[in-house]
Amino acid sequence: MTAVSAPAGRIVVDDLSKVFRGQVRAVDRLSFTVEPGSVTGFLGPNGAGKTTTLRMVLGLVRPTGGRATIGGSPYRHLGNPSRTVGAALESSSFHPARSARNHLRIMCTVAGIPLERADEVLRIVGLYEVGKRKVKGYSMGMRQRLALAAALLGDPAVLVLDEPANGLDPEGIRWLRGLLRRLASEGRTVLVSSHQLNEVQEVADRIVILNRGRLVRSGSIEELTAGTDRVVVTSPDVERLQAALADERADITRTGPNSLSVRGLTNQQVGHTAFRAGVELHELVAQRSDLEELFFALTSAPSDPQAPPPGGGPA
Amino acid sequence: MIRLIRAEFLKLRTTQVWFWLLLATAGLSVLLVVGGIAPRDGVRTARQVPDLFASFAASGPGYILVFVLGVLGVTTEFRYQTITPTFLQTPSRWAVTTAKMITYAVLGVGYALVALIAQLAVALPWLSARNISVDFGNSQIQHAIIGGFGVIALFGIVGLGFGALVRNQIVAVVVGIIFLLIIENVLLAIPVVRKAWPFTPNGGVQAILHTTGTTEVVDGVHLLPLGGGIVVLLLWAFVPAIIGAAYSMNRDIT
Repeated sequence: MTAVSAPAGRIVVDDLSKVFRGQVRAVDRLSFTVEPGSVTGFLGPNGAGKTTTLRMVLGLVRPTGGRATIGGSPYRHLGNPSRTVGAALESSSFHPARSARNHLRIMCTVAGIPLERADEVLRIVGLYEVGKRKVKGYSMGMRQRLALAAALLGDPAVLVLDEPANGLDPEGIRWLRGLLRRLASEGRTVLVSSHQLNEVQEVADRIVILNRGRLVRSGSIEELTAGTDRVVVTSPDVERLQAALADERADITRTGPNSLSVRGLTNQQVGHTAFRAGVELHELVAQRSDLEELFFALTSAPSDPQAPPPGGGPA
Repeated sequence: MIRLIRAEFLKLRTTQVWFWLLLATAGLSVLLVVGGIAPRDGVRTARQVPDLFASFAASGPGYILVFVLGVLGVTTEFRYQTITPTFLQTPSRWAVTTAKMITYAVLGVGYALVALIAQLAVALPWLSARNISVDFGNSQIQHAIIGGFGVIALFGIVGLGFGALVRNQIVAVVVGIIFLLIIENVLLAIPVVRKAWPFTPNGGVQAILHTTGTTEVVDGVHLLPLGGGIVVLLLWAFVPAIIGAAYSMNRDIT
Protein backbone atom coordinates (compact mmCIF):
# COMPACT_ATOMS: atom_id res chain seq x y z
CA MET A 1 0.00 0.00 0.00
CA THR A 2 1.03 3.56 -0.59
CA ALA A 3 3.17 5.09 2.09
CA VAL A 4 2.09 8.65 2.63
CA SER A 5 4.18 11.41 4.09
CA ALA A 6 2.12 13.95 5.97
CA PRO A 7 2.06 16.91 3.61
CA ALA A 8 1.63 14.74 0.51
CA GLY A 9 -1.88 13.73 1.40
CA ARG A 10 -2.96 16.82 3.26
CA ILE A 11 -6.02 18.70 2.02
CA VAL A 12 -5.90 22.40 2.76
CA VAL A 13 -8.95 24.57 2.24
CA ASP A 14 -7.85 28.17 2.58
CA ASP A 15 -10.31 31.06 2.75
CA LEU A 16 -12.45 29.41 0.10
CA SER A 17 -15.55 31.19 -1.19
CA LYS A 18 -18.07 30.51 -3.93
CA VAL A 19 -20.83 32.79 -5.12
CA PHE A 20 -22.99 31.27 -7.81
CA ARG A 21 -24.40 33.72 -10.30
CA GLY A 22 -27.37 35.56 -8.83
CA GLN A 23 -27.29 33.54 -5.64
CA VAL A 24 -26.18 33.84 -2.06
CA ARG A 25 -22.75 32.74 -0.98
CA ALA A 26 -22.74 28.96 -1.21
CA VAL A 27 -19.38 28.84 0.54
CA ASP A 28 -18.16 31.76 2.61
CA ARG A 29 -14.46 32.15 3.50
CA LEU A 30 -14.07 28.55 4.55
CA SER A 31 -10.78 27.24 5.93
CA PHE A 32 -9.91 23.84 7.31
CA THR A 33 -7.26 21.15 6.97
CA VAL A 34 -7.62 17.41 6.55
CA GLU A 35 -4.72 15.28 7.71
CA PRO A 36 -3.51 11.94 6.32
CA GLY A 37 -4.11 8.78 8.33
CA SER A 38 -7.47 9.94 9.59
CA VAL A 39 -11.12 9.97 8.66
CA THR A 40 -12.53 13.47 8.66
CA GLY A 41 -16.29 13.90 8.72
CA PHE A 42 -17.52 16.89 6.74
CA LEU A 43 -20.86 17.67 8.28
CA GLY A 44 -23.64 20.07 7.64
CA PRO A 45 -27.33 20.16 6.86
CA ASN A 46 -28.48 19.86 3.25
CA GLY A 47 -27.56 22.98 1.34
CA ALA A 48 -24.76 23.93 3.73
CA GLY A 49 -22.23 24.03 0.88
CA LYS A 50 -20.55 20.68 1.43
CA THR A 51 -20.81 19.45 -2.17
CA THR A 52 -19.75 22.83 -3.57
CA THR A 53 -16.70 22.80 -1.29
CA LEU A 54 -15.72 19.27 -2.33
CA ARG A 55 -16.18 20.18 -6.00
CA MET A 56 -13.89 23.17 -5.55
CA VAL A 57 -11.30 20.92 -3.88
CA LEU A 58 -11.58 18.63 -6.93
CA GLY A 59 -11.27 21.37 -9.54
CA LEU A 60 -14.81 20.98 -10.89
CA VAL A 61 -16.08 24.29 -9.55
CA ARG A 62 -13.98 27.42 -9.76
CA PRO A 63 -13.72 29.24 -6.42
CA THR A 64 -14.78 32.89 -6.28
CA GLY A 65 -12.04 33.42 -3.71
CA GLY A 66 -9.40 31.50 -1.81
CA ARG A 67 -7.88 28.20 -2.81
CA ALA A 68 -7.86 24.51 -2.09
CA THR A 69 -4.82 22.28 -2.38
CA ILE A 70 -4.08 18.60 -2.10
CA GLY A 71 -0.51 17.83 -1.06
CA GLY A 72 0.30 21.47 -1.76
CA SER A 73 -1.05 21.58 -5.33
CA PRO A 74 -4.39 22.66 -6.71
CA TYR A 75 -6.27 19.64 -8.09
CA ARG A 76 -5.93 20.84 -11.66
CA HIS A 77 -2.13 20.73 -11.36
CA LEU A 78 -1.95 17.13 -10.16
CA GLY A 79 -0.32 15.08 -12.89
CA ASN A 80 -2.46 11.96 -13.07
CA PRO A 81 -5.11 12.72 -10.43
CA SER A 82 -6.60 9.21 -10.26
CA ARG A 83 -3.33 7.99 -8.77
CA THR A 84 -3.38 10.64 -6.04
CA VAL A 85 -7.01 11.43 -5.31
CA GLY A 86 -10.02 9.14 -5.52
CA ALA A 87 -13.37 10.86 -5.53
CA ALA A 88 -16.93 9.60 -5.30
CA LEU A 89 -19.20 12.54 -5.81
CA GLU A 90 -22.63 11.31 -6.76
CA SER A 91 -24.17 8.00 -7.52
CA SER A 92 -25.53 9.06 -10.91
CA SER A 93 -22.39 9.73 -12.95
CA PHE A 94 -22.71 6.62 -15.07
CA HIS A 95 -23.94 5.93 -18.57
CA PRO A 96 -27.03 3.76 -17.97
CA ALA A 97 -26.33 1.47 -20.93
CA ARG A 98 -22.72 0.81 -19.96
CA SER A 99 -21.67 -1.94 -17.56
CA ALA A 100 -19.93 -1.15 -14.29
CA ARG A 101 -16.90 -3.07 -15.46
CA ASN A 102 -16.66 -1.10 -18.70
CA HIS A 103 -17.10 2.18 -16.83
CA LEU A 104 -14.12 1.28 -14.67
CA ARG A 105 -12.10 0.01 -17.61
CA ILE A 106 -12.50 3.35 -19.35
CA MET A 107 -11.16 5.02 -16.22
CA CYS A 108 -8.27 2.53 -16.11
CA THR A 109 -7.43 3.39 -19.72
CA VAL A 110 -7.32 7.12 -18.99
CA ALA A 111 -5.13 6.65 -15.90
CA GLY A 112 -2.84 4.08 -17.49
CA ILE A 113 -3.83 1.43 -14.96
CA PRO A 114 -4.02 -2.24 -16.06
CA LEU A 115 -7.61 -3.19 -16.93
CA GLU A 116 -7.55 -6.03 -14.38
CA ARG A 117 -7.72 -3.40 -11.67
CA ALA A 118 -11.41 -2.87 -12.61
CA ASP A 119 -12.25 -6.39 -11.45
CA GLU A 120 -10.15 -5.94 -8.31
CA VAL A 121 -12.05 -2.88 -7.14
CA LEU A 122 -15.38 -4.49 -8.08
CA ARG A 123 -14.42 -7.30 -5.68
CA ILE A 124 -13.50 -4.80 -2.96
CA VAL A 125 -16.93 -3.17 -3.10
CA GLY A 126 -18.80 -6.45 -3.59
CA LEU A 127 -20.02 -5.85 -7.15
CA TYR A 128 -17.87 -8.36 -9.01
CA GLU A 129 -20.72 -10.79 -9.73
CA VAL A 130 -22.90 -8.05 -11.25
CA GLY A 131 -20.07 -6.06 -12.84
CA LYS A 132 -21.02 -6.98 -16.39
CA ARG A 133 -24.60 -5.81 -16.01
CA LYS A 134 -25.70 -2.42 -17.29
CA VAL A 135 -25.73 0.26 -14.64
CA LYS A 136 -29.37 1.16 -15.33
CA GLY A 137 -30.39 -2.01 -13.49
CA TYR A 138 -28.43 -1.00 -10.39
CA SER A 139 -29.99 0.07 -7.11
CA MET A 140 -28.95 3.28 -5.40
CA GLY A 141 -26.75 1.29 -3.02
CA MET A 142 -25.03 -0.52 -5.88
CA ARG A 143 -24.34 2.80 -7.61
CA GLN A 144 -22.79 4.09 -4.40
CA ARG A 145 -20.56 1.03 -4.29
CA LEU A 146 -19.61 1.55 -7.92
CA ALA A 147 -18.75 5.18 -7.22
CA LEU A 148 -16.52 3.95 -4.38
CA ALA A 149 -14.92 1.39 -6.67
CA ALA A 150 -14.10 4.18 -9.11
CA ALA A 151 -12.56 6.22 -6.29
CA LEU A 152 -10.35 3.31 -5.24
CA LEU A 153 -9.20 2.53 -8.79
CA GLY A 154 -5.84 4.32 -8.71
CA ASP A 155 -4.98 3.21 -5.14
CA PRO A 156 -5.00 6.90 -4.16
CA ALA A 157 -3.54 8.41 -1.00
CA VAL A 158 -6.49 10.79 -0.70
CA LEU A 159 -10.16 9.90 -0.80
CA VAL A 160 -12.93 12.47 -1.12
CA LEU A 161 -16.38 10.97 -0.72
CA ASP A 162 -19.61 12.95 -0.92
CA GLU A 163 -22.43 11.35 1.05
CA PRO A 164 -21.19 7.81 0.36
CA ALA A 165 -23.67 6.28 2.80
CA ASN A 166 -26.73 7.56 0.90
CA GLY A 167 -28.78 4.65 -0.32
CA LEU A 168 -26.75 2.04 1.56
CA ASP A 169 -28.63 -0.37 3.80
CA PRO A 170 -27.52 -0.75 7.47
CA GLU A 171 -25.28 -3.65 6.49
CA GLY A 172 -23.76 -1.50 3.75
CA ILE A 173 -23.17 1.38 6.14
CA ARG A 174 -21.36 -0.94 8.53
CA TRP A 175 -19.25 -2.25 5.67
CA LEU A 176 -18.48 1.33 4.60
CA ARG A 177 -17.33 2.24 8.12
CA GLY A 178 -14.94 -0.69 8.15
CA LEU A 179 -13.60 0.25 4.73
CA LEU A 180 -13.05 3.90 5.70
CA ARG A 181 -11.26 2.88 8.91
CA ARG A 182 -9.03 0.50 7.00
CA LEU A 183 -8.19 3.12 4.39
CA ALA A 184 -7.27 5.63 7.10
CA SER A 185 -5.20 3.07 8.99
CA GLU A 186 -3.20 2.57 5.80
CA GLY A 187 -2.20 6.21 6.11
CA ARG A 188 -4.62 7.66 3.61
CA THR A 189 -6.50 10.90 3.92
CA VAL A 190 -10.23 10.26 4.02
CA LEU A 191 -12.66 13.16 3.76
CA VAL A 192 -16.27 12.04 3.93
CA SER A 193 -19.28 14.32 3.86
CA SER A 194 -22.65 13.64 5.38
CA HIS A 195 -25.74 15.47 6.51
CA GLN A 196 -26.32 12.79 9.11
CA LEU A 197 -24.07 12.87 12.09
CA ASN A 198 -24.60 9.26 13.15
CA GLU A 199 -23.20 8.08 9.83
CA VAL A 200 -19.78 9.52 10.55
CA GLN A 201 -19.79 9.82 14.35
CA GLU A 202 -18.45 6.32 14.88
CA VAL A 203 -15.85 6.38 12.14
CA ALA A 204 -14.53 9.94 12.04
CA ASP A 205 -11.46 11.03 13.98
CA ARG A 206 -12.11 14.64 13.26
CA ILE A 207 -15.16 16.60 12.27
CA VAL A 208 -15.63 19.77 10.28
CA ILE A 209 -19.09 21.29 10.68
CA LEU A 210 -20.41 23.61 8.02
CA ASN A 211 -23.58 25.66 7.97
CA ARG A 212 -24.74 28.16 5.36
CA GLY A 213 -21.35 28.03 3.70
CA ARG A 214 -19.43 28.88 6.84
CA LEU A 215 -17.26 26.89 9.16
CA VAL A 216 -19.11 26.35 12.41
CA ARG A 217 -16.65 24.16 14.27
CA SER A 218 -13.82 21.79 13.56
CA GLY A 219 -11.80 19.45 15.70
CA SER A 220 -11.80 15.98 17.17
CA ILE A 221 -15.05 14.67 18.59
CA GLU A 222 -13.58 14.97 22.10
CA GLU A 223 -12.61 18.59 21.50
CA LEU A 224 -16.01 19.44 20.14
CA THR A 225 -17.95 17.94 23.01
CA ALA A 226 -15.57 19.11 25.74
CA GLY A 227 -17.00 21.79 27.95
CA THR A 228 -20.53 21.15 26.85
CA ASP A 229 -21.42 18.84 29.75
CA ARG A 230 -23.96 20.53 31.97
CA VAL A 231 -25.44 20.20 35.40
CA VAL A 232 -29.14 20.91 35.77
CA VAL A 233 -30.04 22.05 39.24
CA THR A 234 -33.42 22.92 40.78
CA SER A 235 -33.86 24.88 43.98
CA PRO A 236 -36.63 26.92 45.67
CA ASP A 237 -34.02 29.59 46.36
CA VAL A 238 -32.53 29.84 42.92
CA GLU A 239 -31.22 33.44 43.23
CA ARG A 240 -28.98 32.62 46.18
CA LEU A 241 -27.72 29.48 44.47
CA GLN A 242 -26.94 31.48 41.36
CA ALA A 243 -24.93 33.99 43.38
CA ALA A 244 -22.98 31.21 45.11
CA LEU A 245 -22.23 29.48 41.83
CA ALA A 246 -21.17 32.73 40.21
CA ASP A 247 -18.39 32.94 42.80
CA GLU A 248 -17.11 29.61 41.46
CA ARG A 249 -16.87 31.16 37.97
CA ALA A 250 -19.41 28.77 36.54
CA ASP A 251 -21.27 29.50 33.30
CA ILE A 252 -24.86 29.72 34.46
CA THR A 253 -28.07 29.86 32.46
CA ARG A 254 -31.46 30.38 34.07
CA THR A 255 -33.72 27.77 32.50
CA GLY A 256 -36.87 28.21 34.60
CA PRO A 257 -38.29 29.90 37.72
CA ASN A 258 -36.55 27.33 39.91
CA SER A 259 -33.88 25.85 37.69
CA LEU A 260 -30.40 26.60 36.42
CA SER A 261 -28.16 25.01 33.85
CA VAL A 262 -24.53 25.10 34.92
CA ARG A 263 -21.53 24.52 32.73
CA GLY A 264 -17.91 24.25 33.84
CA LEU A 265 -18.56 22.47 37.11
CA THR A 266 -19.15 18.82 37.98
CA ASN A 267 -22.32 17.86 39.84
CA GLN A 268 -20.23 17.20 42.97
CA GLN A 269 -18.91 20.76 42.79
CA VAL A 270 -22.41 22.19 42.32
CA GLY A 271 -23.73 20.11 45.22
CA HIS A 272 -20.87 21.19 47.45
CA THR A 273 -21.35 24.86 46.62
CA ALA A 274 -25.08 24.60 47.42
CA PHE A 275 -24.32 22.84 50.70
CA ARG A 276 -21.84 25.49 51.79
CA ALA A 277 -24.26 28.28 50.87
CA GLY A 278 -27.03 26.49 52.75
CA VAL A 279 -29.31 26.34 49.73
CA GLU A 280 -31.94 23.64 49.50
CA LEU A 281 -31.73 21.50 46.34
CA HIS A 282 -34.59 19.58 44.76
CA GLU A 283 -32.77 18.26 41.76
CA LEU A 284 -29.15 17.81 40.73
CA VAL A 285 -28.59 16.07 37.40
CA ALA A 286 -25.47 15.78 35.26
CA GLN A 287 -26.29 15.94 31.55
CA ARG A 288 -23.74 14.61 29.13
CA SER A 289 -23.96 16.44 25.88
CA ASP A 290 -23.93 14.18 22.90
CA LEU A 291 -22.65 15.13 19.52
CA GLU A 292 -26.04 14.88 17.88
CA GLU A 293 -27.39 17.61 20.11
CA LEU A 294 -24.32 19.70 19.47
CA PHE A 295 -24.68 19.25 15.74
CA PHE A 296 -28.30 20.33 15.75
CA ALA A 297 -27.57 23.27 17.97
CA LEU A 298 -24.60 24.38 15.87
CA THR A 299 -26.33 24.07 12.56
CA SER A 300 -29.80 25.32 13.42
CA ALA A 301 -28.64 28.59 14.94
CA PRO A 302 -27.37 31.35 12.67
CA SER A 303 -23.78 30.35 12.11
CA ASP A 304 -21.26 32.43 13.98
CA PRO A 305 -17.87 30.93 14.79
CA GLN A 306 -17.53 33.30 17.76
CA ALA A 307 -20.81 32.21 19.34
CA PRO A 308 -20.45 30.22 22.56
CA PRO A 309 -21.22 26.51 22.39
CA PRO A 310 -24.88 25.76 22.96
CA GLY A 311 -26.05 25.95 26.53
CA GLY A 312 -29.48 25.25 27.83
CA GLY A 313 -31.60 25.53 24.75
CA PRO A 314 -34.56 23.24 24.26
CA ALA A 315 -32.81 20.06 23.21
CA MET B 1 -3.10 11.86 -25.17
CA ILE B 2 -2.94 8.34 -26.61
CA ARG B 3 -4.61 7.03 -23.43
CA LEU B 4 -7.35 9.64 -23.70
CA ILE B 5 -8.04 8.76 -27.32
CA ARG B 6 -8.11 5.04 -26.52
CA ALA B 7 -10.52 5.78 -23.67
CA GLU B 8 -12.76 7.76 -26.04
CA PHE B 9 -12.95 4.79 -28.39
CA LEU B 10 -13.71 2.53 -25.44
CA LYS B 11 -16.50 4.89 -24.32
CA LEU B 12 -18.01 4.62 -27.76
CA ARG B 13 -17.57 0.87 -28.06
CA THR B 14 -19.27 0.22 -24.74
CA THR B 15 -22.52 1.86 -25.86
CA GLN B 16 -24.66 1.24 -28.93
CA VAL B 17 -25.01 4.60 -30.67
CA TRP B 18 -22.04 4.09 -32.97
CA PHE B 19 -23.53 0.88 -34.36
CA TRP B 20 -26.94 2.33 -35.29
CA LEU B 21 -25.37 5.39 -36.87
CA LEU B 22 -22.99 3.17 -38.83
CA LEU B 23 -25.90 1.05 -40.01
CA ALA B 24 -27.70 4.23 -41.06
CA THR B 25 -24.55 5.35 -42.89
CA ALA B 26 -24.37 2.09 -44.89
CA GLY B 27 -28.10 2.16 -45.60
CA LEU B 28 -28.08 5.77 -46.71
CA SER B 29 -25.07 5.15 -48.96
CA VAL B 30 -26.85 2.33 -50.74
CA LEU B 31 -30.01 4.45 -51.11
CA LEU B 32 -27.99 7.29 -52.61
CA VAL B 33 -26.43 4.94 -55.18
CA VAL B 34 -29.82 3.50 -56.09
CA GLY B 35 -31.24 7.01 -56.36
CA GLY B 36 -28.27 8.02 -58.48
CA ILE B 37 -28.40 5.19 -61.00
CA ALA B 38 -31.96 3.91 -61.15
CA PRO B 39 -33.95 6.94 -62.42
CA ARG B 40 -34.18 7.79 -66.09
CA ASP B 41 -31.97 10.83 -65.56
CA GLY B 42 -29.52 8.78 -63.44
CA VAL B 43 -25.91 7.95 -64.18
CA ARG B 44 -25.55 6.98 -67.82
CA THR B 45 -22.00 8.04 -68.64
CA ALA B 46 -18.60 7.69 -66.98
CA ARG B 47 -18.51 11.48 -66.53
CA GLN B 48 -21.32 11.27 -63.97
CA VAL B 49 -19.57 8.65 -61.84
CA PRO B 50 -17.49 11.03 -59.62
CA ASP B 51 -20.62 12.76 -58.28
CA LEU B 52 -22.05 9.35 -57.43
CA PHE B 53 -19.11 8.55 -55.19
CA ALA B 54 -19.25 11.99 -53.61
CA SER B 55 -22.96 11.62 -52.90
CA PHE B 56 -22.72 10.45 -49.30
CA ALA B 57 -20.48 13.29 -48.16
CA ALA B 58 -22.34 15.80 -50.34
CA SER B 59 -25.80 14.96 -49.03
CA GLY B 60 -27.22 16.65 -45.96
CA PRO B 61 -28.34 13.40 -44.31
CA GLY B 62 -24.88 11.93 -44.93
CA TYR B 63 -22.73 14.48 -43.17
CA ILE B 64 -25.45 15.06 -40.56
CA LEU B 65 -25.09 11.44 -39.40
CA VAL B 66 -21.45 12.06 -38.54
CA PHE B 67 -22.30 15.50 -37.15
CA VAL B 68 -24.77 13.85 -34.75
CA LEU B 69 -22.14 11.27 -33.77
CA GLY B 70 -19.78 14.08 -32.83
CA VAL B 71 -22.47 16.03 -30.95
CA LEU B 72 -23.33 12.91 -28.94
CA GLY B 73 -19.64 12.30 -28.23
CA VAL B 74 -19.58 15.24 -25.86
CA THR B 75 -23.23 15.95 -24.94
CA THR B 76 -23.84 12.37 -23.75
CA GLU B 77 -21.20 12.99 -21.10
CA PHE B 78 -23.10 16.01 -19.83
CA ARG B 79 -26.46 14.25 -20.05
CA TYR B 80 -25.37 11.31 -17.90
CA GLN B 81 -22.86 13.36 -15.88
CA THR B 82 -20.01 11.08 -16.87
CA ILE B 83 -18.30 14.38 -17.55
CA THR B 84 -17.63 14.47 -13.78
CA PRO B 85 -15.35 11.38 -13.75
CA THR B 86 -13.93 12.49 -17.10
CA PHE B 87 -12.82 15.87 -15.73
CA LEU B 88 -11.77 14.34 -12.40
CA GLN B 89 -9.37 12.11 -14.28
CA THR B 90 -8.33 14.74 -16.80
CA PRO B 91 -8.71 18.22 -15.32
CA SER B 92 -7.50 19.88 -18.54
CA ARG B 93 -10.54 20.73 -20.67
CA TRP B 94 -8.21 21.26 -23.61
CA ALA B 95 -6.83 17.73 -23.32
CA VAL B 96 -10.31 16.21 -23.16
CA THR B 97 -11.58 18.27 -26.09
CA THR B 98 -8.49 17.60 -28.22
CA ALA B 99 -8.70 13.85 -27.58
CA LYS B 100 -12.35 13.87 -28.57
CA MET B 101 -11.64 15.91 -31.72
CA ILE B 102 -8.99 13.45 -32.86
CA THR B 103 -11.20 10.48 -31.99
CA TYR B 104 -14.22 11.77 -33.90
CA ALA B 105 -12.15 12.80 -36.92
CA VAL B 106 -10.76 9.25 -37.08
CA LEU B 107 -14.27 7.90 -36.62
CA GLY B 108 -15.44 10.11 -39.48
CA VAL B 109 -12.82 8.51 -41.73
CA GLY B 110 -14.08 5.09 -40.64
CA TYR B 111 -17.69 5.99 -41.39
CA ALA B 112 -16.70 7.43 -44.76
CA LEU B 113 -14.89 4.17 -45.51
CA VAL B 114 -18.00 2.14 -44.68
CA ALA B 115 -20.09 4.48 -46.83
CA LEU B 116 -17.65 4.06 -49.73
CA ILE B 117 -17.57 0.28 -49.43
CA ALA B 118 -21.38 0.12 -49.35
CA GLN B 119 -21.57 2.38 -52.41
CA LEU B 120 -18.96 0.40 -54.35
CA ALA B 121 -20.63 -2.91 -53.48
CA VAL B 122 -23.86 -1.74 -55.11
CA ALA B 123 -22.56 0.61 -57.78
CA LEU B 124 -19.74 -1.41 -59.37
CA PRO B 125 -21.79 -4.45 -60.52
CA TRP B 126 -24.67 -2.21 -61.55
CA LEU B 127 -22.53 0.21 -63.56
CA SER B 128 -20.61 -2.61 -65.24
CA ALA B 129 -23.93 -4.16 -66.26
CA ARG B 130 -24.66 -0.87 -68.00
CA ASN B 131 -21.22 -0.87 -69.58
CA ILE B 132 -20.12 2.22 -67.69
CA SER B 133 -16.50 1.81 -66.73
CA VAL B 134 -15.24 3.07 -63.37
CA ASP B 135 -11.64 4.18 -63.58
CA PHE B 136 -10.10 4.80 -60.15
CA GLY B 137 -7.14 6.41 -61.88
CA ASN B 138 -9.49 9.18 -62.94
CA SER B 139 -8.56 12.33 -61.04
CA GLN B 140 -12.15 13.42 -60.59
CA ILE B 141 -13.13 10.11 -59.00
CA GLN B 142 -10.09 10.39 -56.73
CA HIS B 143 -11.08 13.95 -55.89
CA ALA B 144 -14.62 12.81 -55.02
CA ILE B 145 -13.44 9.96 -52.79
CA ILE B 146 -10.64 11.81 -50.98
CA GLY B 147 -12.80 14.92 -50.64
CA GLY B 148 -15.57 12.76 -49.18
CA PHE B 149 -13.22 11.36 -46.53
CA GLY B 150 -12.05 14.86 -45.62
CA VAL B 151 -15.55 16.28 -45.41
CA ILE B 152 -16.88 13.48 -43.21
CA ALA B 153 -13.83 13.56 -40.91
CA LEU B 154 -14.23 17.31 -40.48
CA PHE B 155 -17.94 16.93 -39.76
CA GLY B 156 -17.07 14.67 -36.83
CA ILE B 157 -15.19 17.67 -35.42
CA VAL B 158 -17.96 20.13 -36.41
CA GLY B 159 -20.41 18.04 -34.37
CA LEU B 160 -18.03 17.66 -31.49
CA GLY B 161 -17.26 21.37 -31.31
CA PHE B 162 -20.93 22.28 -31.53
CA GLY B 163 -21.70 19.80 -28.75
CA ALA B 164 -18.90 21.22 -26.60
CA LEU B 165 -20.29 24.70 -27.15
CA VAL B 166 -23.92 23.87 -26.38
CA ARG B 167 -23.49 20.99 -23.86
CA ASN B 168 -27.23 20.24 -23.83
CA GLN B 169 -27.80 17.11 -25.91
CA ILE B 170 -31.31 17.72 -27.20
CA VAL B 171 -30.72 21.39 -27.95
CA ALA B 172 -27.45 20.62 -29.77
CA VAL B 173 -28.91 17.84 -31.93
CA VAL B 174 -32.14 19.66 -32.79
CA VAL B 175 -30.60 23.07 -33.43
CA GLY B 176 -27.74 21.49 -35.40
CA ILE B 177 -30.00 19.48 -37.67
CA ILE B 178 -32.43 22.35 -38.23
CA PHE B 179 -29.54 24.63 -39.16
CA LEU B 180 -27.85 22.15 -41.50
CA LEU B 181 -31.00 20.88 -43.20
CA ILE B 182 -33.37 23.84 -43.22
CA ILE B 183 -31.85 27.20 -42.37
CA GLU B 184 -28.98 26.80 -44.85
CA ASN B 185 -31.44 26.17 -47.66
CA VAL B 186 -33.73 29.00 -46.59
CA LEU B 187 -30.67 31.24 -46.66
CA LEU B 188 -30.21 30.36 -50.30
CA ALA B 189 -33.73 31.52 -51.12
CA ILE B 190 -33.32 35.03 -49.71
CA PRO B 191 -31.75 37.64 -52.03
CA VAL B 192 -28.58 39.37 -50.77
CA VAL B 193 -28.41 37.11 -47.69
CA ARG B 194 -27.76 34.20 -50.05
CA LYS B 195 -24.30 35.65 -50.69
CA ALA B 196 -23.35 34.25 -47.28
CA TRP B 197 -24.29 30.72 -48.27
CA PRO B 198 -20.87 29.69 -49.64
CA PHE B 199 -19.53 30.27 -46.14
CA THR B 200 -21.99 27.87 -44.48
CA PRO B 201 -20.94 24.26 -43.76
CA ASN B 202 -22.87 23.02 -46.79
CA GLY B 203 -21.29 25.75 -48.90
CA GLY B 204 -17.90 24.47 -47.80
CA VAL B 205 -18.85 20.87 -48.51
CA GLN B 206 -20.05 21.62 -52.04
CA ALA B 207 -16.93 23.66 -52.79
CA ILE B 208 -14.73 20.78 -51.67
CA LEU B 209 -16.63 18.10 -53.57
CA HIS B 210 -17.23 20.09 -56.74
CA THR B 211 -15.63 18.25 -59.66
CA THR B 212 -17.58 19.12 -62.77
CA GLY B 213 -20.10 21.57 -64.15
CA THR B 214 -20.86 25.13 -63.18
CA THR B 215 -19.92 26.72 -59.88
CA GLU B 216 -23.12 28.77 -59.85
CA VAL B 217 -25.50 27.41 -57.22
CA VAL B 218 -28.31 29.88 -57.77
CA ASP B 219 -28.44 33.29 -59.40
CA GLY B 220 -25.35 35.20 -58.41
CA VAL B 221 -24.12 32.69 -55.81
CA HIS B 222 -20.95 30.88 -56.76
CA LEU B 223 -19.12 28.13 -54.93
CA LEU B 224 -15.80 29.02 -53.38
CA PRO B 225 -12.71 27.45 -54.91
CA LEU B 226 -11.54 24.15 -53.37
CA GLY B 227 -9.11 25.84 -50.98
CA GLY B 228 -11.77 28.28 -49.84
CA GLY B 229 -14.16 25.42 -49.13
CA ILE B 230 -11.53 23.66 -47.05
CA VAL B 231 -10.90 26.81 -45.01
CA VAL B 232 -14.64 27.34 -44.46
CA LEU B 233 -15.14 23.79 -43.19
CA LEU B 234 -12.00 23.94 -41.02
CA LEU B 235 -13.35 27.09 -39.38
CA TRP B 236 -16.72 25.44 -38.73
CA ALA B 237 -14.85 22.51 -37.21
CA PHE B 238 -12.33 24.31 -35.02
CA VAL B 239 -13.91 27.60 -33.96
CA PRO B 240 -16.80 26.03 -32.00
CA ALA B 241 -14.46 23.39 -30.55
CA ILE B 242 -11.98 26.03 -29.35
CA ILE B 243 -14.68 28.28 -27.89
CA GLY B 244 -16.29 25.19 -26.35
CA ALA B 245 -13.06 24.05 -24.69
CA ALA B 246 -12.16 27.53 -23.47
CA TYR B 247 -15.52 28.65 -22.11
CA SER B 248 -18.40 26.21 -22.23
CA MET B 249 -16.52 23.12 -21.02
CA ASN B 250 -14.80 25.26 -18.42
CA ARG B 251 -17.97 26.24 -16.63
CA ASP B 252 -18.61 24.84 -13.18
CA ILE B 253 -19.56 21.18 -13.16
CA THR B 254 -22.23 20.97 -10.49
